[in-house]
Amino acid sequence: MNNLAKFSLGIFLTLGIAWLAFVVGARSQYGDLSPTSESLNEDGSVPVDADLYPFDLSGMAKQGAEEYAALGCVSCHTQQVRRVEAGFDVDRGWGKRPSAPRDYVLQEHVLLGNSRIGPDLANLGLRGYTDQWLHQHLFEPQTLFPSSLCPPSPFLYNEIKDPTPSDLEITSQDNTKDIRHIRPLVRANRLIAYLQSLKQDYELPEVSFVEDDEVVEETELTEEVASAQVSSAPKWLQDQIDAGKEVYMKAAAGGGMCFTCHQVNGEGLAGQFPPLAGSDWVLGDKDRLIKISMYGLMGEIEVNGVKYNNVMAPPGIPPGSLTDDQIANVLTYIRNDWGNSASAVTSDEVATVRKSLNGRAPMQMFTAAELSPDVK
Amino acid sequence: MSEDSPDKTIDRSARLAFSFFLSSAGLWLLIAALFAYLAACKLTDPFFLSSCEFFTYGKIKVSQANAFIYGWGGNAIFAVSIWILARLSQAEVRGSVFLIFAGVIWNLAITFGLLGILDGHMSGHEMLEMPKEVWPAMLISYLIITFLILVIHRSRQIKETIAPQWFILAAILWFPALFLIAWHGLEINPARGTLQTVLSMWFGQSLIWLWLTPVALGAAYYLIPAILGRTIDKYYLAIFGFWCIAALAPWSVVHHLEGGPVPMWIPAIGTVMSIAMVFPIAVASTNFHATAFLDLGKVWNSLPLRFVIFGTLSYTVSSYIGVVFSLPAVAKITQFTIINEFHFNQRVYGFFSMIVFGAVYFALPKITGREIPISAKSFHFWTSTLGVLLLLLAYLIGGLTHGVLAGQPSLPWSSSVISSVQPYFLITKFAFLLLAFSQLVFVVNVWRVIFPNPFAKLFVDQKEAGA
Ligand code: HEC
Ligand code: HEC
Repeated sequence: MNNLAKFSLGIFLTLGIAWLAFVVGARSQYGDLSPTSESLNEDGSVPVDADLYPFDLSGMAKQGAEEYAALGCVSCHTQQVRRVEAGFDVDRGWGKRPSAPRDYVLQEHVLLGNSRIGPDLANLGLRGYTDQWLHQHLFEPQTLFPSSLCPPSPFLYNEIKDPTPSDLEITSQDNTKDIRHIRPLVRANRLIAYLQSLKQDYELPEVSFVEDDEVVEETELTEEVASAQVSSAPKWLQDQIDAGKEVYMKAAAGGGMCFTCHQVNGEGLAGQFPPLAGSDWVLGDKDRLIKISMYGLMGEIEVNGVKYNNVMAPPGIPPGSLTDDQIANVLTYIRNDWGNSASAVTSDEVATVRKSLNGRAPMQMFTAAELSPDVK
Repeated sequence: MSEDSPDKTIDRSARLAFSFFLSSAGLWLLIAALFAYLAACKLTDPFFLSSCEFFTYGKIKVSQANAFIYGWGGNAIFAVSIWILARLSQAEVRGSVFLIFAGVIWNLAITFGLLGILDGHMSGHEMLEMPKEVWPAMLISYLIITFLILVIHRSRQIKETIAPQWFILAAILWFPALFLIAWHGLEINPARGTLQTVLSMWFGQSLIWLWLTPVALGAAYYLIPAILGRTIDKYYLAIFGFWCIAALAPWSVVHHLEGGPVPMWIPAIGTVMSIAMVFPIAVASTNFHATAFLDLGKVWNSLPLRFVIFGTLSYTVSSYIGVVFSLPAVAKITQFTIINEFHFNQRVYGFFSMIVFGAVYFALPKITGREIPISAKSFHFWTSTLGVLLLLLAYLIGGLTHGVLAGQPSLPWSSSVISSVQPYFLITKFAFLLLAFSQLVFVVNVWRVIFPNPFAKLFVDQKEAGA
């Protein structure tokens, strides 16, 4: 005890043994878990052609995870379903089975949490909430549950004074407040994509679904939830998305041919064609989108922090021939597929932009510098 | 208490560093109190400050914990350790300039760290939420301070070391080790999946068990005999208690992962070791209380000692409660409830801070030669005691309500479970307000003693010159 060196050796030794167990030992035990199929062949190998779980999150959901971490949602919400003998989580319908270490191996931010002022969110994506509902909940939970303690996040939305049909209408459950209209910022869209991606709806070789009468209760819960939803995608929006997809996929006169460059899955091609899925351009300012759909885009641009320097000739066959309706539809489509979720674009909005560009030489492509950089 | 002159020179040499760390600690204490109050307000009214992105509940909660542990805890640890070790070594504090230089970096790092959290760069690792850019600054400044503290210890006059020295030195040395382990496992060679959580939770809990706790225990081992003027009863047990903590505490902290997506042996070993912790807890409380109860009147009449004994009693009670709550049958109910807040506040407030208050009230007059008015100290003691008890009771009963109701799946979450806990949030809000007020009194008095107004100082100097 009197010799500092020996004393230090002693206290580091006691700490070191615990470190060996929890860090080195645990790591060698399960540090190299990787996705696997729901069940294995008898010899323990993964069947050919089987889907591997867990899936990787989409790019947009990954960005949403960062928002979730930065806003500190984890101080009230856990993301772990405890084993049946250790807690009531499955009984509460928070999951079909206990969470397993493998469920988290692909996540960059593992946000298990250790406080539950709000319900567990490990399986939020399975509760059947629409994006609109989640947006309303994120904007102001108290409009759905008047006594909710979940904090409102109005800073992720723009409140709109003269709304278009695509903006979200907020009415409170008890009608104590005026009707408001909001438009999500990209960050809100990312966060919702992340929340929707939270699901452990597959079995793994090491855990299977908990089978008992509790499952019945769970379905009741989802139905109750479904009836609490404000609106699911309305028919007009679905029509517009369908029409837009046609423009996107058509490679003949009158089409947009977008898929040839941006790909059917909206992911683009690395280094050449930027992605539309999760893109901050696509989910951002509509004016900018409309402008480039009419006149094309050239020069250096940045999509989600990645630089591209290429040319998009004015889209359409022949170039620059897309009508107001077509532009409105195709933009609405790309804002609402591949996990994207953003407000629709109307042909009125396109017409307004077209008028404001009256006098611009046809086919004169935009550059990023020319487009206002404010990403809304 | 008669003072001989070597003590006086030692106190004078510690004056600059002690005053610097103590006054920064006080500032952080107030900042943490403000955050605690804001967070409590948000739990009673979710619309409070809700349109301001800087102040989401999650950010405030985390900032409070960080300001408390690193700001108040860190600075207070430096101040108390430097003085106690200097006294026990009978050696002067050297390199005050470097101590203050490192202290400034430490405080700047925390300031930027907290701003980073509020600005949306929180990392999500328990107690390492500050953006990783400030970690190097924290580690380097800490190491400078450690080095200078070791210099004091190495130049000690008496070779024989005693309990306060073991505990304080161990805490001082454990922190950088823990920090490096966490840094390595989370950033340099990052673990995947829930290994991250195991590590960050181990780090966050170990900070309290291996950094704050030993310093407070060491301070108690020093103060109780020093003020009472008697030796520690059954002192021979202390060494056993020390090594029990060193060996068991690093294991016991992971029992919070019970039932979660980690290998089962991790929480299981945590539970076993938590139960084994009854030994070191028993040792410490025997040492402290057997000694103190021999002379209760003196304990009551000496304010510093009253704070210390409150702290040690709180340590004993909270640790035993912690052992009970780590039993799987109980953990099933209390896990994830606001009982967590009970544990945190009990340990950092009821135990650590109270002992530090006692140490400060004991040391400050010796170091500066000026007294804090007895009425202020007494006010601080009673408001703190009341605030802490109110807070802990609310979290304890609220947490049990939370857990029992949550365990009944037929009760809807928001309208039954959480709304039954809400009254307790209201109580904690008042408790935090009371504590904030109490801390304000403490800090103002400490500051007034450290930075007296110029006229008062003139007066004292004249008196000293005359004497
Ligand atoms: C102060 C604690 C608190 C914080 C912080 C918090 N929540 Fe909540 N959350 C709650 C409570 C309580 C509920 C239950 C009441 C309700 O549904 O509104 C809830 C419910 C929810 C639900 C609905 C879950 C369901 O199954 O019905 C979602 C989604 C949600 N929160 C998302 C978030 C997100 C995203 C954040 C971070 C921006 C967040 N919460 C931060 C307390 C919190
Ligand atoms: C000939 C290939 C090509 C076609 C066809 C094409 N694009 Fe592009 N697109 C590009 C390139 C290249 C860029 C990047 C331009 C730059 O670097 O300045 C781009 C950029 C974009 C962007 C902005 C960046 C991003 O990823 O969000 C959007 C939005 C976009 N295109 C939408 C469309 C739509 C809608 C269509 C169909 C109507 C379409 N594109 C058809 C090649 C194409």
